[in-house]
Amino acid sequence: MAAPLVLVVLAAVTVRAALYRSSLAAFISERVEVASPLNAWKRVVEGLALLDLGVSPYSGAVFHETPLIIYLFHFLIEYAELVFMITDVLTAVALYLAIQDFNKVVFKKQKLLIELDKYASDVAELIRTPMEMHYIPLKVALFYLLNPYTVMSCVAKSTCSINNTVIAFFILATIKGSAFLSAIFLALATYQSLYPVTLFAPALLYLLQRQFLPVKLKSKSFWLYTMQYAALYLCSLVVIICLSFFLLNSWDFIPSVYGFILSVPDLTPNIGLFWYFFAEMFEHFSLFFVCVFQINVFFYTIPLAVKLKEHPMFFMFVQIAIISIFKSYPTVGDVALYMAFLPVWSHLYRFLQNIFILSCVLIVCSLLFPVLWHLWIYAGSANSNFYYAITLTFNIGQILLISDYFYAFLRREYYLTHGLYLQRQDGTEAMLVLK
Amino acid sequence: VCTSRFWFNYRHVANTLSVYRSVKRLGIPDSHIVLMLADDMACNPRNPKPATVFSHKNMELNVYGDDVEVDYRSYEVTVENFLRVLTGRIPPSTPRSKRLLSDDRSNILIYMTGHGGNGFLKFQDSEEITNVELADAFEQMWQKRRYNELLFIIDTCQGASMYERFYSPNIMALASSQVGEDSLSHQPDLGIGVHLMDRYTFYVLEFLEEIHPASQTNMNDLFQVCPKSLCVSTPGHRTDLFQRDPQNVLITDFFGSVRKVEITAETISLDPNLTAFESKPPKEEFAAEPLKYAEQLPVAQIIHQKPKQKDWHPPGGFILGLWALIIMVFFKTYGIKHMKHIF
Repeated sequence: MAAPLVLVVLAAVTVRAALYRSSLAAFISERVEVASPLNAWKRVVEGLALLDLGVSPYSGAVFHETPLIIYLFHFLIEYAELVFMITDVLTAVALYLAIQDFNKVVFKKQKLLIELDKYASDVAELIRTPMEMHYIPLKVALFYLLNPYTVMSCVAKSTCSINNTVIAFFILATIKGSAFLSAIFLALATYQSLYPVTLFAPALLYLLQRQFLPVKLKSKSFWLYTMQYAALYLCSLVVIICLSFFLLNSWDFIPSVYGFILSVPDLTPNIGLFWYFFAEMFEHFSLFFVCVFQINVFFYTIPLAVKLKEHPMFFMFVQIAIISIFKSYPTVGDVALYMAFLPVWSHLYRFLQNIFILSCVLIVCSLLFPVLWHLWIYAGSANSNFYYAITLTFNIGQILLISDYFYAFLRREYYLTHGLYLQRQDGTEAMLVLK
Repeated sequence: VCTSRFWFNYRHVANTLSVYRSVKRLGIPDSHIVLMLADDMACNPRNPKPATVFSHKNMELNVYGDDVEVDYRSYEVTVENFLRVLTGRIPPSTPRSKRLLSDDRSNILIYMTGHGGNGFLKFQDSEEITNVELADAFEQMWQKRRYNELLFIIDTCQGASMYERFYSPNIMALASSQVGEDSLSHQPDLGIGVHLMDRYTFYVLEFLEEIHPASQTNMNDLFQVCPKSLCVSTPGHRTDLFQRDPQNVLITDFFGSVRKVEITAETISLDPNLTAFESKPPKEEFAAEPLKYAEQLPVAQIIHQKPKQKDWHPPGGFILGLWALIIMVFFKTYGIKHMKHIF
């Protein structure tokens, strides 16, 4: 399987290199959908230039990257394009290996459940075979590398690619079962952008499942393991933050990075939901609504954990999607990360209800973003409402996509245990309805 | 004040700018100079060397540049504005740079050049100021205590007529020519195509070149500048309204900004216990050799000064800590036994 992967990687690198050399690179790096105030390359260069002039890069609201990014790019700034291509390749390889292992786990679990007779009798067509699962890792790598969103994000040299790499390594470490590495990568991911802290729950559930520890609130071993994992995570987070202090000998980066993410002061339009609301809100209410919007990101973790405790990888997928939709400065790079996972759930295709219309919505909205931006900013014949309408539609499309997959997943689980052809008590055909 | 416009009056602008530069070189800052120019020479389409105004032939000295602060330019140079500046009757919205913020201890130097006649001076080809108006303006200044002593220099044809009517005390006046005589221009430059300077101002500037802030040259020497053999016209001066003897008036009283300080050679020890103790009087610094007025300010150095590019490097402790952590994590996951494979 290595050879097709290498081929895919080569194709992806060629596409990116070609785009870097073309004139589109400058155009793409200016797009607001690709570069947000948090991860634009222009700001990284500005911060490093400020540092060379002897000024802290966090003074003034230009630079919102973490000190580890300063350290990374201080030495690699001339090779920036190579760095971003390598991070994309690393993400794809990490996802490939992760999904390979995950397939093995899925298959093992399926075998166990079949032997335990947990499945109904007529669900033969729903059982997954290694044959069909063989190409899934390659498809995942392909989906990530050749996704136009990823390519644009890489060509714009947005540090979103680095965030994605860290999250991909975190997923790989979790699936391999190493709690230590998984905690460290999760701490790194949280340190980079605050939101992956919600990925703590799915990772914990996966590791518990791997250790065959039952998720019962009364169980002592459950709490012991949770405490261990939480301690590892928090300690590594604290260590990384303290280490960053020593880079510039100041705590300036905390309000500049995390304060910026949480309080959303910069209202540059992007593909998220925050900017328009806060642009027209009275200052009196802004604190309240900032809290409401931020809680919205973290809110879905507990209910999803309760519902999906048997399926932590799906939970991880839904959680990553929720982060990319509801975070304060989303970009298309974040969207690309969870879209890479879609081949893993390709077996749910028969249960998806709205996939055609949703994919059309997503494609059309992506095409309309630059059009309405041009109409608003350059032609002056539209206004921010138009652009926000497209943002809203894009996000609604994403949310419906996730909920569609969620529903399809639950349906499949239900059919597996209750049989494909459901019957009511009196023998007539029953239909499964989401209430 | 330069009262002419149009390309063929290049020399009036060069005159004014040269005097401006001398005065700045001798220490008067832009906040204390009101410069009125038509300012249409440097960017004139007929100027073969754009953004320059030369005051010497062969284009040796460029008196224009980005450190010239023109306060009234182009159509703002009118008789009304000039008189308002002198008398201080200015609308409250006028910025400070356009005001003459003088009080009764200020010595004022007024230099005017342009085209004039018997009893009048032409402003921008459209209006005139008469000697009577000028004398009345100076009387208003005296009554409002807007000057201590005033030196009035005029370089136009029949310039002496402009100071005939002064009647306020403490005014000394110099002119480039008597009534009935024309002031002549000095040198044409074949490269630019116009005359670059007027004779009287040219010799006055040569004289001023010798002046430095500590010089003791007095007004009598200035009256000798430009005899008839060099200037063709007869320069005149008027000192009857002036209370001091011109012999005792230093050039730097009007042309420079010189503090009356006394340099002491003895050292004074500052006792930290004494609270009310004055510090040493500031030493007066002057140039060791006379400076050409074109090089008085190190403009190129000031403008192109960039902060020194010191490269920032991450502190050693950080790098050490980071890589120690990375190596620790690596060995924790893969075990110590791999060490021998690496080393």
